[in-house]
Amino acid sequence: MTETPSGLVSRRGILARLFGGLVLALTNGHVWWRPAWAGLIEPASQSNESHIVRVSRPLDAETPVREFVSWLTPNERFFVRSHFGLPQAENVDPSHWRLTVGGLVERPLRLRLDDLKQFEEVTLTAVVQCAGNGRAFYRPTAPGVQWERGAVGNAGWTGVRLKDVLAQAGLQPSAKHIQLQGADRPVSTRTPLFVRSIPIEKARHPDTILAYQMNGRPLPLLHGAPLRLITPGWMADSCIKWLTEITVGADEAKGYYMEKAYRYPVHAVEPGGAVHAGDMKPVEAMVVKSLIAQPAEGTMLKPGPVMIQGVAWTGEGTVVKVEVSTDEGQTWTAARFVGEASPYAWRQWQFVWQAHPGAHTILSRATDDRGNIQPLASPWNPGGFLWNGVDRVRVNVANG
Amino acid sequence: MNRWDGGKPAALLFVGLVFASFTITQVWSDDRPSVRGDAESSHLRPDVQATQLLAARCAVCHSTDLITQQRLTRIQWDAIVQKMVQWGAQLSDTERDVLVTYLAARYHARDVDKAVGLSQPITSEEPAGLATGAQGPGVRQGPAGNGEWLFTQHCAACHGAAAVGGVGPTLARNPIVDHERQFWDTVTNGRGAMPPWGSILNAQEITNIRTWLKTLQ
Repeated sequence: MTETPSGLVSRRGILARLFGGLVLALTNGHVWWRPAWAGLIEPASQSNESHIVRVSRPLDAETPVREFVSWLTPNERFFVRSHFGLPQAENVDPSHWRLTVGGLVERPLRLRLDDLKQFEEVTLTAVVQCAGNGRAFYRPTAPGVQWERGAVGNAGWTGVRLKDVLAQAGLQPSAKHIQLQGADRPVSTRTPLFVRSIPIEKARHPDTILAYQMNGRPLPLLHGAPLRLITPGWMADSCIKWLTEITVGADEAKGYYMEKAYRYPVHAVEPGGAVHAGDMKPVEAMVVKSLIAQPAEGTMLKPGPVMIQGVAWTGEGTVVKVEVSTDEGQTWTAARFVGEASPYAWRQWQFVWQAHPGAHTILSRATDDRGNIQPLASPWNPGGFLWNGVDRVRVNVANG
Repeated sequence: MNRWDGGKPAALLFVGLVFASFTITQVWSDDRPSVRGDAESSHLRPDVQATQLLAARCAVCHSTDLITQQRLTRIQWDAIVQKMVQWGAQLSDTERDVLVTYLAARYHARDVDKAVGLSQPITSEEPAGLATGAQGPGVRQGPAGNGEWLFTQHCAACHGAAAVGGVGPTLARNPIVDHERQFWDTVTNGRGAMPPWGSILNAQEITNIRTWLKTLQ
C-alpha cells in the first residue's frame, strides 16, 4: 500500500487503486486467460504440446498418439473423458467419501477408503479406451465427441478385487447385474445421471478391480479419485470414475446411458440407418486395434530405413500379429513385437521400412488369437462406437 | 507532502479515467450479444440470434465446441436439440427452430470432409476396398480446416460465437483481420485486457484462425 507516513493515501495510491479497479472490472476478477483445464493438465515434460481438447467443458481431451512410444501412459498425459466434469470436492474427499454396496445383497456395506485395506491388493496393467475413440472416422458421421486416435492409454492400476467386496456383501441368488454410479453430476437436474451396469460374470472376474492407484500413485481427480472401476479388456464405459454406489440387481440398470447411449447393433446395419432398440446390446469388450505412434502424421523423412513403431491390443484374447502396408493395403508385411507382454496391456511393435521418395500412407493392421483382424473401416453403428479401422499416417519422403 | 494536495490535474485525470472506462465498456456492450427473451432478440438476424442462443442456453451445460464439431443432417440436429430441451435446455419452439436451421446449415453432414484451408492436402484417392465409404484416419480435414474450431476453443469466450463480439470486440468483418502484422501482434502479445496467446497458440493455429476469420463476410 502506498500510504504516506501520516496515514492518508497519496495521489499515487489513488491512481494505483483506480487502475487496479479498472483492471478488476474488465477481467471480472478472474485469472481468466488461462484455459480452464490448464491447472488440471500439467504440461508434458517431453513436449510442449498439450492434449488435443475435443470439448473444453466438461473436459474431453485426447493424448497425441506420438506419445505412445512409451509403453505406460503417464497419469498427466492420459486422455480425459467426463460426462459432467469433476464432482463436487467434498463428495470425493477421502475423509468423507463412502462406497455403498446395496441391492440384492445379504449385508449392505458402507466402506471408507481405509476399509478397502482389508482386501487383497492387486496390480495389473491395462488399456483403458473410450468407447467412442475413433468416432470421427465413421461415414456417415455419428453424433458425439469426435475423438480421433488418442482417447486411449495404458497404465498400471492398483486396487482390490470387486469380487472380494461383493463376497463380503454376500450376493443373493437372484443377483445378475452390478450397477455402478459415481459422484459426478450434471448441471441440470433434468439431465440423466451416468449410471451403467455390468453383468455379474464380469463383476466377479478376478481381474475386475476397484482401483485407487494409477501408475503407482494415488488415483488423480481427473481420472476418478478416490476410486474407480477397471474392467480389463472392456471399453471404458464400464470403468466408472468417482465411484460411490454399487447396487446389485436382477436386471440391467435403467436410464439413458445404459438403455440408449452405450449400445451398438447385434447385426450389421445399413450405414446411416435406424436400428430397433431390441437389436442393440451394451458396449462391452474392446475389439482388436493398433496405432502407429511414429512417424507422426505429416512428418518429412529422408529416404532409407525408417523405424515405424506403435502399439496393438485387443479385448478378449491376445494380439498375435501386427502388419504394415505402404501400398494402400494391397500388400502387408509383419512387424515384430518388442517390450512387455501382459494380458490386458497393449503390445509394442516395430517395423523397419525402406522409405523411398514421395508421399506415402503407412497403414497398420493387428490380428488377435480369436482370428479377429482390423478391417479397413469398422462396421457403421449409430453411436459411432468401437472404431478399429486400420490406422493410417501420411508422411512425405524427400528426394534423397 | 503529508496531505493530499493533488489538486486539479489529478482530479481531471480521475474524471478522465472514469469517463474512459464508461466509454470502453459502452463500446464493448454494443457488440455484446444480449439474450433477454424472444421479443427483444427476434428482430436480430436469425444467425446472430442462433449464436446468442448457443452462448446463452447451450453453454450453460457444456462449451459450444461439443456442438460445432458435429456434422449432422437436419433430422439429426432436430433430434439432438429436442433431447437437450428434455435434459434442461431453455428453448422456446421458435428458438429451437432458429437454432436447428442454423446448425443444419453450418454444420451439415455433407460438409464433413471439406477443407477450409489448404496447408495440408487431402488425398484425392479413395483408399482401396472401403465399401462403406468410411475413410479412416489421415483422410479428414487437414489442420488448416480447424480455424473455426480453434476460435471456438480459445477466442469465442470473449469475442463471441461466430466472432460476433462480447466482452471483446466483433472480429467478423473487422479490418484488423486484413492487417497481418497488427493481427499477429495483437494475438501473440495481447492488447489491454486481452491476454497474450503466443505461448498457447502456435503459428499454424494462429494462421488457421485468421484464415477462418477472413471467410466471415
